[in-house]
Amino acid sequence: MPSYNLYMGCSVPANYPNYETSLFRVADKFGIELIYMEGVSCCGSPNLRAIDYMGWLIVNARTLAVAEKNGHDIVTPCNGCFGSLKDVYHFLIHNADYREKVNAELKKTGVEFKGTIKPRHFIEALYNDIGIDEIKKKITKPLDGVGIAIHYGCHLLRPKDVTEFKPEIFEALIRVTGASVVEYPLWKQCCGATVLPVNEELAIRLARDKLKSMKEAGAVFTTVSCPACGNQLDLQQLGLKESYGEEYNLPVLFITQILGLAMGMGDDEVGLEMNRVPADPILKHLSG
Amino acid sequence: MTETEEKADPPAVMIEPIDISKLDPDFREGIRSMPNGEELSACFACSTCTAACPIANTWKYKPHQLIRMILLGMREEVLSSEEIWLCLTCFECQERCPQNVRVTDIFFDCKNLAAEESMIPDSIVGLAKELLDKGQLYVVTADWEREDMDLEPEVPGLSTEEFKAILKGTRTGRIVGGDE
Ligand code: SF4
Ligand code: SF4
Repeated sequence: MPSYNLYMGCSVPANYPNYETSLFRVADKFGIELIYMEGVSCCGSPNLRAIDYMGWLIVNARTLAVAEKNGHDIVTPCNGCFGSLKDVYHFLIHNADYREKVNAELKKTGVEFKGTIKPRHFIEALYNDIGIDEIKKKITKPLDGVGIAIHYGCHLLRPKDVTEFKPEIFEALIRVTGASVVEYPLWKQCCGATVLPVNEELAIRLARDKLKSMKEAGAVFTTVSCPACGNQLDLQQLGLKESYGEEYNLPVLFITQILGLAMGMGDDEVGLEMNRVPADPILKHLSG
Repeated sequence: MTETEEKADPPAVMIEPIDISKLDPDFREGIRSMPNGEELSACFACSTCTAACPIANTWKYKPHQLIRMILLGMREEVLSSEEIWLCLTCFECQERCPQNVRVTDIFFDCKNLAAEESMIPDSIVGLAKELLDKGQLYVVTADWEREDMDLEPEVPGLSTEEFKAILKGTRTGRIVGGDE
């Protein structure tokens, strides 16, 4: 029964309680203990990194240092938080001079970054610490034959020497449900979420490119492991009706919602009513 | 005579000439000393980064050009370019660079330098202000929605005070403070 420090970040709890609740329910199936971290808040996002590198280092080093107190690795359901924490972890491990500077600041708040625990994305922990064989045993409602396109998200995959995440992990977690992974040309491409504050039009174009590429490749629905990507691909579909006159009707589900459904959870248990694009094709498949 | 007359039209200018007097020779070293900037001078201008970028086709200065401009010392042009702020931080360029130039990381360094000189898009200043005021980007408003999903109405363990205190003492504090 593995235990982890759960770093929620700010977006999931505020915008996507459906992701949060399905995360807990899936963890529960495997006896995973998720401990909400005490006294932490936001990772600052790439925007903070852009304007205040030092501030971004310190707040994320602090989160890592807080987790070091109980010695459990951090898991997070957000690619953005994962990207920030992992990048800061990697950077401080390799740069002693910055580590000293950061620790001088952290000292004032009574903690120290030592690099003794790792920040991880929840799905990587699930894959490596529980394993596909164990997960397979819990699949009671297989999604046989359903074509799912994976949007991995930039900060989960890249830079790969920092994230150390392999796309095969995500694919295995989809295949274990019985679903098939739909390959599509733009699988690596950004959803556009980061550029939303500076150029909305560009952000919408990028979301459209993604959705179009998935749909044309035959995806029935798509899955994400990040609230920002989820927001971008799900919510923008409503806007695309107006701006481009295009309807994609491609439901966007968080990976834990898919796993939950395949493990026999009800649509209310994984909070499916909160997903903007109705998930009817999936529900039809499961009841059929 | 005829020859000179035939050549009277100045040749079409293909590239805007670089004003050498405006180059900053320290810029390159400045970036090289910033986080993940070390590999900068390994760039051999292959433009693979630009080919990998999903949006560079709309940019005036493409990623490989920005890197070249840094190497040449075109500080002003790079730091005032809108491209560094349009960058998606998707790391596709960095991932593909055959010379291991950390292109995206270097654009982060450029943004930090631009920020130090208060050249930040208004929307990003707005985000900095939110981070400092609220201690996070998103605040739970619909706590009933959380309860509906069997979650605690408030996020357990959340505390924004330390986060705010840290950023007050770093550049974020100066950016937001200087704006009021
Ligand atoms: S891919 Fe690398 S080596 Fe090639 S132009 Fe870009 S930064 Fe330079
Ligand atoms: S990180 Fe920025 S410059 Fe590099 S490929 Fe992505 S958008 Fe282009």
